[in-house]
Amino acid sequence: MANKQSMLAVQGMSCAACAAKIEKALKSMSGIKAARVNLPAGKVAVEYDPEQINISETTKTITDLGYQIAAEDFSFKITGMSCAACVNRVEKALRSLPGVKNAAVNLATESARVEYYPAVVEGVDIKKKVETLGYQTGERLDAQSELDREREAREAEIRRQRVNMWLTWPLGLIAMLGTMREMWIFDRFVPAWLASPYTLWFLTTPVVVIGGWQFFVNSWRGLKHGVTDMNLLYATGIGASYMIALINTLWPNAGFGGPKATFYESAALLTAFIVLGRYLEALTRGRTSEAIRKLMHLQAKIARIVRDGKEIEIPADEVQIGDLITVRPGESIPVDGKVTEGYSSVDESMITGESIPIEKKEGDEVIGGTINKTGAFKFTATRVGKETALAQIIQLVENAQGSKAPIQKIADVVAGHFILGVHLLALAVFLFWFFIGYGWWFTPNSTFLLSTSTIGTIGVFGFSMLLSLTVLVISCPCAGGLATPSAIMAGSGKGAENGILFKGAEAIETTSRLDAILFDKTGTLTRGQPSVTDVIAIGSFSQDRILQLAAAAEKNSEHPLGEAIVKEAEDKGLIIGKATSFKAIPGHGLEAELEGSQVLLGNRRLMQQWKIDFSGALQQVEELEEAGKTVMFISIDGMFAGLIAVADTIKEGSAEAVRLLKEMGIKVSMITGDNRRTAEAIARQAGIDHVLAEVLPEDKANEVIKLQEQGDRVAMVGDGINDAPALAQADVGIAIGSGTDVAKETGDIILIRGDLRDVASAVEIGKATMRKVKENLTWAFVYNTLGIPIAAGLIYPWTGWIVSPQLAALFMALSSFSVTMNTLLLKGFVPSLKKSRTVEIKRLKEGLA
Amino acid sequence: MSEEKVTTISAVIYLGISVVLALAFFAATGGSAYNTTARYGGAIWVFILAMIITMPVVIPQVKKRYR
Repeated sequence: MANKQSMLAVQGMSCAACAAKIEKALKSMSGIKAARVNLPAGKVAVEYDPEQINISETTKTITDLGYQIAAEDFSFKITGMSCAACVNRVEKALRSLPGVKNAAVNLATESARVEYYPAVVEGVDIKKKVETLGYQTGERLDAQSELDREREAREAEIRRQRVNMWLTWPLGLIAMLGTMREMWIFDRFVPAWLASPYTLWFLTTPVVVIGGWQFFVNSWRGLKHGVTDMNLLYATGIGASYMIALINTLWPNAGFGGPKATFYESAALLTAFIVLGRYLEALTRGRTSEAIRKLMHLQAKIARIVRDGKEIEIPADEVQIGDLITVRPGESIPVDGKVTEGYSSVDESMITGESIPIEKKEGDEVIGGTINKTGAFKFTATRVGKETALAQIIQLVENAQGSKAPIQKIADVVAGHFILGVHLLALAVFLFWFFIGYGWWFTPNSTFLLSTSTIGTIGVFGFSMLLSLTVLVISCPCAGGLATPSAIMAGSGKGAENGILFKGAEAIETTSRLDAILFDKTGTLTRGQPSVTDVIAIGSFSQDRILQLAAAAEKNSEHPLGEAIVKEAEDKGLIIGKATSFKAIPGHGLEAELEGSQVLLGNRRLMQQWKIDFSGALQQVEELEEAGKTVMFISIDGMFAGLIAVADTIKEGSAEAVRLLKEMGIKVSMITGDNRRTAEAIARQAGIDHVLAEVLPEDKANEVIKLQEQGDRVAMVGDGINDAPALAQADVGIAIGSGTDVAKETGDIILIRGDLRDVASAVEIGKATMRKVKENLTWAFVYNTLGIPIAAGLIYPWTGWIVSPQLAALFMALSSFSVTMNTLLLKGFVPSLKKSRTVEIKRLKEGLA
Repeated sequence: MSEEKVTTISAVIYLGISVVLALAFFAATGGSAYNTTARYGGAIWVFILAMIITMPVVIPQVKKRYR
């Protein structure tokens, strides 16, 4: 075969030595004909013999040397997968492709996300690989089209299985009636011709050939490529039952229970039950992805924009940045923007989870997809299309739903090997009953479980094969395959509903098992902006007068403390005068001339410099400083007039969040670069006992490591900017949403509205989701551990019971159905804080009424 | 190695194993203890299951070895 060439984009090469190192390492590999590094372009051209070396080995060598190869993400649709074994099969095939770094397939969203090296493999090759396994592939479109397509595909599957149901069930039931003609009173109304093996053959053949065709085709496609899935279990089960019945019809003395024993009803009902399972699965699978559908429906279709002074309606996706948009009461806001005119309250609950409408005035931000409640207003579009907060949220939720939790990876591996194990077991069961079991325990009075019919004079081959194929049918791993992805989808959707965005399944799983949470102080536990907390007037001066003069003196100041004083005065409605003269005294404060008075405002050194006596207020100063507040002294015309204390205050809800987390048994700590006294004051208010103060931003990650070294699973809650290293180091980084640009936030979880109570809700949702995963997996495990031994004839020697293939098929269908139904219960889950808030609001409304 | 060659080599191996197992079953059931249906039917069933078991094991191994 001719040599091949690939161009790899390599990151991290800084000099010619790097280039030489890579070239040397590559050239030393057998099969590499040439390797050339283009340092300025950051590219490595490799010529290799594909018969001797796989290109993935070269990428591994380069990464082993410490460089990174730029990989790209490629997402696409896969339809036709039915169980975890399919997932495993597709992933295995994709990972075997040269140039594919990683592949994650999601059964619930019917999608694949592949990380690949574009120089080595292309999207079209990746899809082709999947198609050779017998699945259909398609493009992943934007979320809306994606949803439409997913719905169409699901509806088509529902229609297909419904048609199969209409065929298999009536014919299967008639075949069963024919088989049971000689039982009870059936011979009075079931005609004799219906019990004829030839009639039953005629009835069963379309059931098996048409209804069961899908299983034969899919399993053969897989086997050709050396992979198996549960279709193979069905195909072997259905095929074997049908063949037994056919042999019994053509050669009645072959040993399958004589001329009166037919297995047609087994083949027919087995197919019918499997089709029923497929139908139920198609019906319920889409319901777990309802969160995205709900978010999609929030998007407004129409926007009313002002052009040339006239209001015109245009499709919302045609709005451009800078367009002026009008919104009337009750309307949905089409895109993100800033209010320029008008006043209203907006229901943002669908995005932030906040149930109380938020007031909007000029200058405030509005979020596309939220509902305008009372007034009309105009706003300028600042983000449109895929840049809007809603579009970013949808993207994040989609990614989370498509990701894989560590627990699921284990389940997938188990399911992948399960099919093979089941066939081995079926062979072992057959050999055991053939050579040992039949001779020792068989009795003609044996009955089928949950049935009164006996199996009669069945021969050793018929009996052994019956047990063998029942094992195949009952062992379907679909419940195990659906257990985790369905719960992860429901959990991430539940998070989005409450303003909590999980960026991946791993974040959900780790959040459910947290031992410690570290909160950043400024901007996370606190508002991040100083505000006036105390105004103490001394002598004849009033509090308002002090504040008024201080605000006038600070009016032009850009210092955060000055801004806090001006804001407080404005909030109190005080008229702020204008200073006739103003002089800043660096490191001390300021001196201003106001309304004919001299005002000094600053720290104690300023007072000492001007020899102003403030000894009478020393105790109050000490108390305020002890509480972590910054104290400003004010004197008017040389007389000490009072104190103004300014401090960063804790956010509403911070203390409640800490209390809840402590109740959950999580260690809560605070980390800050501030001095210990201020830090401890804030920690006291929040109810945090453990404080890490005076920590430099770059050392925050080290503090996280220290906790991890103690064996704790740690979450770091921060604002996502200066805390980025700590957020990345933590097992779970929780970023407090700043504004609506959620995609830019670092961290594994994003709290859209920046309310710390959502940290507690995130932990609750994580726990509830993982509880569902565990319940589902336990159910699947219990089902298989009970079902398989019973089907294999473990209790037969004592009870004389065996499981009929059709009953095994019913159990199998019910197992995956029950897992999906159990997951759907998560839709009713409400975080405890939201629950208590809803009750509170209800009470308030009742009170008002 | 081409895809066809991998398929052929794999087929020879898994078919060989399955046939051997089926023949072993047939030989083990010789004598008067089992009737013809049981012997032939059992051998066929063993062959089918052996094929299903060996195909997904053999094909990837052959691919791995010859590529």
